[in-house]
Amino acid sequence: MIPLKYNLRSLSVRWATTLLTAVAIGIVVFASVLTFGMIDGIEHALTASGDELDLIIMRKGSTDEMSSNVSQANARDLATLDGVELGSDGKPLASREFITIALKPRRNGKGTANVIVRGLDHVGRQLRTNYKIVEGRDLVPGVNEVITSRSIANRFEDLGLGEKFDINNVPFTVVGYFEAGGSSAESEVWADLRDLTSAQRFDGAVSVVNLRATDATSRQNIVDRVQDDDQFKLKAISEAAYYEDQKASAVAIKVVAYIIALFLTVGAMFAASNTMYAAVASRGREIGTLRALGFSRRTILTSFMLESLVLCMFGGILGCLATIPLNGLSGGTSIAFSEITFNFRFGFKVLAQGMVLAIAMGFIGGLFPALRAVRAQIIDALRQR
Amino acid sequence: MKLLTYIWRNVTRNKIRASLTVLSIAFSLALMTILYGYLAMQTVALDEAEKHNRLATLNNLGFASPLPIAIVDKISKIEGVVAATPFSWFGGSYKSQQMAFAQFGVEPKVAFDVFDEYKIPAEQVQAFKDDRQGCVADRRLAEQMGWKLGDRIPIEGTIYPVSLNLNLVGLYEAPTNTGMILFNWNSLDDQLRANFEGFAGNAGMIYTKCAVADEVAIISETIDREFANSENSTRTRTEAAFQKMFAEMMGDVQAYIRYISLAVVFALALVAATAMSMSMRERTTEIAVLKAIGFSGLRVLLLVLGESTLIAVLGGILGIAGGLASLQLFSNVPIAAQLFPVPVLSLVGTWMLGLVAVSAFIGFISGLVPAVLAAQLSVVNGLRRVI
Repeated sequence: MIPLKYNLRSLSVRWATTLLTAVAIGIVVFASVLTFGMIDGIEHALTASGDELDLIIMRKGSTDEMSSNVSQANARDLATLDGVELGSDGKPLASREFITIALKPRRNGKGTANVIVRGLDHVGRQLRTNYKIVEGRDLVPGVNEVITSRSIANRFEDLGLGEKFDINNVPFTVVGYFEAGGSSAESEVWADLRDLTSAQRFDGAVSVVNLRATDATSRQNIVDRVQDDDQFKLKAISEAAYYEDQKASAVAIKVVAYIIALFLTVGAMFAASNTMYAAVASRGREIGTLRALGFSRRTILTSFMLESLVLCMFGGILGCLATIPLNGLSGGTSIAFSEITFNFRFGFKVLAQGMVLAIAMGFIGGLFPALRAVRAQIIDALRQR
Repeated sequence: MKLLTYIWRNVTRNKIRASLTVLSIAFSLALMTILYGYLAMQTVALDEAEKHNRLATLNNLGFASPLPIAIVDKISKIEGVVAATPFSWFGGSYKSQQMAFAQFGVEPKVAFDVFDEYKIPAEQVQAFKDDRQGCVADRRLAEQMGWKLGDRIPIEGTIYPVSLNLNLVGLYEAPTNTGMILFNWNSLDDQLRANFEGFAGNAGMIYTKCAVADEVAIISETIDREFANSENSTRTRTEAAFQKMFAEMMGDVQAYIRYISLAVVFALALVAATAMSMSMRERTTEIAVLKAIGFSGLRVLLLVLGESTLIAVLGGILGIAGGLASLQLFSNVPIAAQLFPVPVLSLVGTWMLGLVAVSAFIGFISGLVPAVLAAQLSVVNGLRRVI
């Protein structure tokens, strides 16, 4: 085994080439990690950080909350089903919710997008874990007030604290900002159920009912009960399953991200290969000497592969480090016609993906130069100038 | 000319290095071609939409809010309007596949007056008018799905609690790949009226064809003014502006494409610079000899810059060709096809010259430092150096 120190010294002797190559690889890893971090952020923004026992009840045949509707009578019945958890005030944890979208201009003239506006019962807040008001106050029902997240407020006209906007010529006022653990709720504007439906002239309309079961058994009971009851014509699905489905709409962005990473990685592989070829070419005599000293071909092959891996991993680490200042950077895009805001997330998984790319570059990029290094006959190698 | 031959010899003497650099640039430029090709496609589609003097009207609140069908008639009577049709997004699933293609409910009587550039045989238009369950499809979509005239196309509603069982009575050809089917709005409304009164009578969107281009803006204002104080105020845009709105919904993703491209260009400049400085270091003695026999500093400078630029441009051209080929490949994948409203070949345009310029720029920048060093090399030092 040739000590790793040999490779490190070789790399630092040609420090300029090493650094340039590592920085180039670092940029590629950086761009890929950025893309993966965006995907992770978008997926996170599409999920609800809800409880295992939470259920969404919607019309049979509808695939998202917006296209669902539940009659008023059914909504009342659902809240009184056996197995629905009771809140601290003794009322069932079942929230009637009405969802609509409003076309809003983005700030700074960056076009318009659909924002989800959700009218819900007050109890709905208890169904969102980590829900809290972070600025201003919660809305008071009956006087057309809304709350939203800070990121939506920053992105859209008229949605900042204290600002007013119209829904069907009815003015609503933003009175507070909330957080809900970075989940999908943070891409929404919340109003009182009755305020919103009467402004939309859909009095009494309910899109879905969100509720929490007391335990796993009663959750299953509720699902079966809703499913089998022909009166309801509804279905109950777990919140986790619902949001897993919503994630599927981000699949196009995901495919694009992987294509970007693939092309960049292959391009960087050639770059790494180039540097290693130069390293091998300028060290012909060294390699011959090593062989003459009795190091086997395999040992030398391993050594050069290691050198390539060290080079690329150095680049990879640079790339990952460069994403640190961007952690939590927020962005927004429209998925399935409505705007979601997301924060770039560079967690362990995302960084590991970036390092895997770097290792792949080092391995494949280093393979052919390393093979060339060991192919030469000892005599020929020693004779090189 | 002699200089060019010499540059070409220099490019090809270390074949592995040159081809690795070319490939590295090619792959990254291919990626940029794909990304920018996508943006260019939207521009081409917008230019197409611009030509047809059409307006799209929505409820001022957005897609989720209804637009009463009575508005269609009122718009039709505005002076300068050729025809107006409801254009109602059904969003159903076909063979339990959601969003396999777009379905819109239109008024068959006027649909092909509004979309007058669509080519369809007159008897098929008549059949569409006569058959309440009838629908017409984009010919390319029908080919992809393997439909023939007379086929039944069942579509299950996801937004509306009803299903459609459509009868394919016509195939049209449009200048762009619209990837949609048009069905009789009235058959949807019949079902809704019978079962779900609250959903009925909703035109969804309204598409209006104006007679002359000059009046489009005035008619757009007239429509919005007419309904400004009604229960359902409207928002009218030109078809191009309407499509642009969808493109803008991508939001930060678009800006993000540009940032990625910037990072790629920077990384590439480094890659090419590394390769170039490796080459030049190996040739120090040679350059000293060139200078000794009378090559001026400027000439040596041009020699090195020419070499680095040539390599990068080769990579660029290869990459752009590869990127176009990949786009062509993607556009033939059935699910991705709806992302390609226009054929890939129609994307060829000046933006590609821009990419070639980008690759030339990368080559120029990467050769700058080695070139200046070579030009300033003193003959004695260069000849003395042993590598």
